[in-house]
Amino acid sequence: MLIEVEASTRLFGGKRALRDRIVQEGADLGVTSVAWATNGLAAQALARAGIENGFKRPLDQLLDALPMAALSAVHPYEGTLQRLGCRTLGDVRHLPRGGISRRFDKMLLAALDRAYGVQPEVHKWVELPETFSARLELMSRVEMAPALLFGARRLLLQMCGWLAARHSGTAAFTLQWAHDSMRAKDAGEGGELTIRTAEPSRNLEHLCRLLAEHLAKVELKAPVGELRLAATEVVSLEEKSGSLLLDENQTKESLQLVLERIAARLGPERVLRPVLTDDHRLEWMQMWQPVPKPQPRRGIDPDTMPQPTWVLPHPLKLATRGHRPLYQGALHLLTGPHRVEGGWWHRLDERGGGRMSAGGIPEVDERGEGASDSACGAADQQRTGHVQRDYWVALSEHAGVLWVYQERLASDETAWYLHGVFA
Amino acid sequence: MSAVPAWAGDEDGLPAQSFAHPSKSRARRSLPGELPPEVEQAVWRGCDLGHQTSAVISSGFAGLDAELPGRGWPTQAISELLSPQPSVLEWRLIGPALRGIVSGGGAVVVVGPPKTPHLPGLRHTGIDEKHLVWVQVDSPAERLWTVEQLVKSGACGALVAWLPQARPEQIRRLQVCAHACTGPVFLFRPAATQHESSAAPLRVMATFSVDWELQVHVLKRRGPMHDGVVRLESVPGGLGSVLTPRLQRPSLIIASRHPGRDAARQRFTDVGTVKGGPVHALGSTASTDYAGRLGRHAPVR
Repeated sequence: MLIEVEASTRLFGGKRALRDRIVQEGADLGVTSVAWATNGLAAQALARAGIENGFKRPLDQLLDALPMAALSAVHPYEGTLQRLGCRTLGDVRHLPRGGISRRFDKMLLAALDRAYGVQPEVHKWVELPETFSARLELMSRVEMAPALLFGARRLLLQMCGWLAARHSGTAAFTLQWAHDSMRAKDAGEGGELTIRTAEPSRNLEHLCRLLAEHLAKVELKAPVGELRLAATEVVSLEEKSGSLLLDENQTKESLQLVLERIAARLGPERVLRPVLTDDHRLEWMQMWQPVPKPQPRRGIDPDTMPQPTWVLPHPLKLATRGHRPLYQGALHLLTGPHRVEGGWWHRLDERGGGRMSAGGIPEVDERGEGASDSACGAADQQRTGHVQRDYWVALSEHAGVLWVYQERLASDETAWYLHGVFA
Repeated sequence: MSAVPAWAGDEDGLPAQSFAHPSKSRARRSLPGELPPEVEQAVWRGCDLGHQTSAVISSGFAGLDAELPGRGWPTQAISELLSPQPSVLEWRLIGPALRGIVSGGGAVVVVGPPKTPHLPGLRHTGIDEKHLVWVQVDSPAERLWTVEQLVKSGACGALVAWLPQARPEQIRRLQVCAHACTGPVFLFRPAATQHESSAAPLRVMATFSVDWELQVHVLKRRGPMHDGVVRLESVPGGLGSVLTPRLQRPSLIIASRHPGRDAARQRFTDVGTVKGGPVHALGSTASTDYAGRLGRHAPVR
């Protein structure tokens, strides 16, 4: 490993302190020898020879004394050079340059020049692959899906590094697992799990937690021996510059991230946001859609009429006493009637859905069904969302301020329903 | 040595040396039983309302703010709101506070409400569709997990959750997590839990009366016990625009329809005074007067 440290010596408290730290911490990582020199090739040669300090004497003298094997470029011609009588790098260097370039490779001279600092060092840029796919063989067979996370985390770490280097984030990634060879016949080769994120991210912790939520639902058919992770959708991500001060907002998760995690466990159809619709019937005044879906740009003009703050999923038919509705005692009708009528054009299909249930939310379906039960125009088989109601504000001493309505039934009968609460 | 203080009974007078100059200290010394003013300011008495170290969100009711430490709903802590019945007065109680949060860009996250929230009605409390999220939860475990995730993230403008079955240790856990939460956390719980211990620093019991009033009693707060109830005027869901003067006092209408129940109604509306605690109407002068009286009388109790 080659480290260029000249620019960072002050940061680490001087060359001596930096050297001590590298030697000490490098030993833990399995580093056997460390050497310093003015360029990388020379340092490599010195390290091979076991000389640490390349600044003790002029570099020429140090390198001249090294055996030829210290420089990789010399290695292919070592036999020939030995027969010429060369023992050290100095011997090679003192050979006539014209002869060397004719008899040996051009690379040999170039390597010598670079090691001695005659020519500048040129490094190749590391180019990352265009796509990310990494595999990991697990240390032991894993039988429970959540335990895959330990292995997957290492892969995710690699992926996040790759994403950071490419200045991008992932919007979807796939974790594949291969079953062990000792498996039941019906278990198959393995499985895969694709995870989509609401917004592109390369935040390791977030991706890990998201993966953990999804893995908790996976049941493995056989023990798993190998994992493979691929970034399937990569989009470039503009990075926010970090702040020098500890900013509270940056240490916290955004609401979108935490809702996404909750949706991963509970299911996306249970983390909802309301959308107002242009309708005056209570059931269809609003619909609920999963949070990540974009909201319509055109807002509905706010209605200034009083509206309850809670609604019942199905209107509750109330008992009556002397033509007055009862709900936890007698109700006192305060203001009304507020007539809501219409919706004969709104056909509900057999599943109880309507045009409003395009989002596939069961809540809307249930309410649609509930409304059609109470719809009076449902004589034929085709049910509609037709309503004909007189809404009243009712007051109960126990249940608070209620939104009840009276509906005409067949043969001039009426019925009272509780539909909402002004809480 | 004529200036040796009378209370320095011992001969050497060393204790007096450690204070300021004796003659000066005598000049400034207050009467026995009273503290010097600078000490007085630094001492927190049990009869005063506690200081709120974190920011507070005004409840929107001047009468209620006067009874809450720091004059508002606390942030970085959970507030338990108890009521005898769910889905009767929730938005009336916290709606004015939510209006300020939503106008500041915070989102209101509703976890496990007893009924479906109705946005057209909630618009009257200032909540719009961009700032409302409804998380449907079924089991108590899901409820707790969701609330804990939201509290930990601290990303909600306000968290409104219904936890009817949470145990005291679970509330304690939430309270510890809430230290990172910048918005208020409202937990709605049944009135029966008022006898359980709770780690929430603020517990409020709320009921309503038919005369467009909320009756709030603070069960637990940082400060002295709260006697009686605070009556808060609250007309829900934009009904204020359709109320006729006659409908301002529905209790009179009910009484006229049921003359036999007049006595019962009288008891119902006078519940605060019957209990012996001072009841004050909505209004700032009345509430400060009440706080002052409470402060003088509390040490005796």
